Amino acid sequence: MNCLLCNTRLPVRLCLGDLLALRPLQQPVICEQCHTGFTRIDPNHACPGCGRPQEHPHLCCECEQWQHQYGWHLNHQALYTYNDAMKEYMQRYKFLGDYRLRHVFAVEFQQRIRHLQADLVVPIPVTTTTMATRGFNQVRGLLGDIEVTSILHHRAADKIAQSHKTRHQRLQTPQPFILSNPVVVRGKRILLVDDIYTTGRTLYHAAVLFKKAQCREIVSLSVAR
Amino acid sequence: MDLSEYYGRRVLVDQPEWRQGKPAPSIETLPTMERHGQMIRCLRCGQETACRIAALPNNEFYCPHCINLGRVATLNKFYHVPEPNQFTVSSPVLTWTGQLSPLQEKAATTVDTGMAAHRHQLLWAVTGAGKTEMMFRGIAHALERRERLAVASPRVDVCLELYPRLQAAFQNTSMVLLHGRQELPYRYAQLTVCTTHQLLRFYHAFDNLIIDEVDAFPFAANDALLFASRQAVKETGGCLYLTATPGPALLRQVQHGKLAVSYLPLRYHGHLLPRIRLHLAPGWRRGLQHSHLPASLLNQLRRSLDAGYRFLLFVPHVTDLAVVGPILRTALLHHPFTTVHAADPDRLVKVQGMRDGKYDFLVTTTILERGVTFPEIDVFVLGADDPVFSSSALVQIAGRAGRALSRPTGTVGFWIGGQCRRVRSAVSQIDFMNRKGRTLKQ
Repeated sequence: MNCLLCNTRLPVRLCLGDLLALRPLQQPVICEQCHTGFTRIDPNHACPGCGRPQEHPHLCCECEQWQHQYGWHLNHQALYTYNDAMKEYMQRYKFLGDYRLRHVFAVEFQQRIRHLQADLVVPIPVTTTTMATRGFNQVRGLLGDIEVTSILHHRAADKIAQSHKTRHQRLQTPQPFILSNPVVVRGKRILLVDDIYTTGRTLYHAAVLFKKAQCREIVSLSVAR
Repeated sequence: MDLSEYYGRRVLVDQPEWRQGKPAPSIETLPTMERHGQMIRCLRCGQETACRIAALPNNEFYCPHCINLGRVATLNKFYHVPEPNQFTVSSPVLTWTGQLSPLQEKAATTVDTGMAAHRHQLLWAVTGAGKTEMMFRGIAHALERRERLAVASPRVDVCLELYPRLQAAFQNTSMVLLHGRQELPYRYAQLTVCTTHQLLRFYHAFDNLIIDEVDAFPFAANDALLFASRQAVKETGGCLYLTATPGPALLRQVQHGKLAVSYLPLRYHGHLLPRIRLHLAPGWRRGLQHSHLPASLLNQLRRSLDAGYRFLLFVPHVTDLAVVGPILRTALLHHPFTTVHAADPDRLVKVQGMRDGKYDFLVTTTILERGVTFPEIDVFVLGADDPVFSSSALVQIAGRAGRALSRPTGTVGFWIGGQCRRVRSAVSQIDFMNRKGRTLKQ
């Protein structure tokens, strides 16, 4: 097996524990060199609203603004910071469409999802045009066998990707989603999952719909922040 | 849309676009992938992948091998227009006015007749034979026949070096340079200079294809390269491979009679290649840890410097430079030198410094194996049996010596920890060409 990112050969290390555990082997899919490029976010040293790494435990100024706008804020967590290595990864996974790269963060991501213990796991959808071109939803790729509730949809088949906009344009984006079956949401703890949290605009749009449908609680998770 | 973009190419089209229907009746729509049981085969790069690995959701598949050229998936189609050879030839085609030596003349004629007959041929010419100039006549005649041509190489630097030389030699011909790092858009031209990777974008486009330095890393003469070249030329097209060190894949084709081979065993100055002299130095690496170089190596370096010759010393790894450098600094006092490697930010400055005579020698890794020419030098390799040196790299390294008419010979010494196949093969390749060269000279 070779590293999915740089294609160098990965050493196979077996220890006694692996043999006795009677579980499928969990071998790394990227090499240590590539792994050091990504910076983990410690959940204890991050903004409780958006998951941005910081020293103090209070809301960051961006989240203060969301609080001001909506009267509530998200409880978002992210695994890694959005640095150059992550940017390169997203470029290859999403935009080049190398679907194998979902394995790079899948195990860790799924562990965190199980840890968050939500009633419903809802991935942010892609447009039908993106689905026809890219062939996959990058968020669902990361989720593997985890059961998801696909009730969130795009209003339009086509839209301008968030990544092609400036920060200001992103924040001006109108509600792009509709909720197809609001009844199942009532009284549930919802976990919204996305690949990247940049301005928070997308996740807040989605969260508004779930709030309206009277869910009990919303948490959210992304790979990068 | 401009149709010429599709001439002789396979352009990837996304599902939403091709489902809307053909943009023009002359455009053919071709499939992108083919399934064989549990394997799926990419029709662009020819590689097979297990369906399990290549799977996308909803029973679609993609090719992870050539993904850097843009993803080929079952969601896509290729748009293709057969090559129409729509060129206007303005004379004179050949604007190069140099002279060929009698030996080069003979090889140039072989190349020319081979290209006229659209043959698949291999020109096995020693390093420093003047290969580029020998292609000119064949290219000129092909351009006059209104053929579409490509000159490709696995290495970007070879392409970058070739392009201006070809531009100067064929000033009236439309030409385009294509490689992965380039931002310029594609343009339809009679002569394409590109990396061998880029050939995968073409389909039955070229009447003649020339591949220079076929053996060079990273796309060595393997089956993927042979596939790329086969599908880029027309079914009736010819292909010329140029190399100093043909790999096993090409030699196999020669043995099976699929490839005609011609040799140019003498350099442009008519001298034989310097022979490789092997020196056994078991435990040189352990010695290096204690800051010792093999005594025979140090003696040889001193002899070269005393005779007034400069040299290149190759070591296997970048980390070895930091060890060998200080040892030589104390052992060879008063001789200015420097170390250089591929990722060195001052690489070009240092190489230029060596050209300008600022240094008596350079200590380096494999980066200087090709294309860099210093006159009148000796060449030494410490640890030639290290796996980083392929046999073709070793032949290229040995070929750095004796390139100038003023000193057509030179000393080439390899210090090895033990015998190995790659070193033996390099020595025997050079001896083989020298035997051929000797019969020519008689």
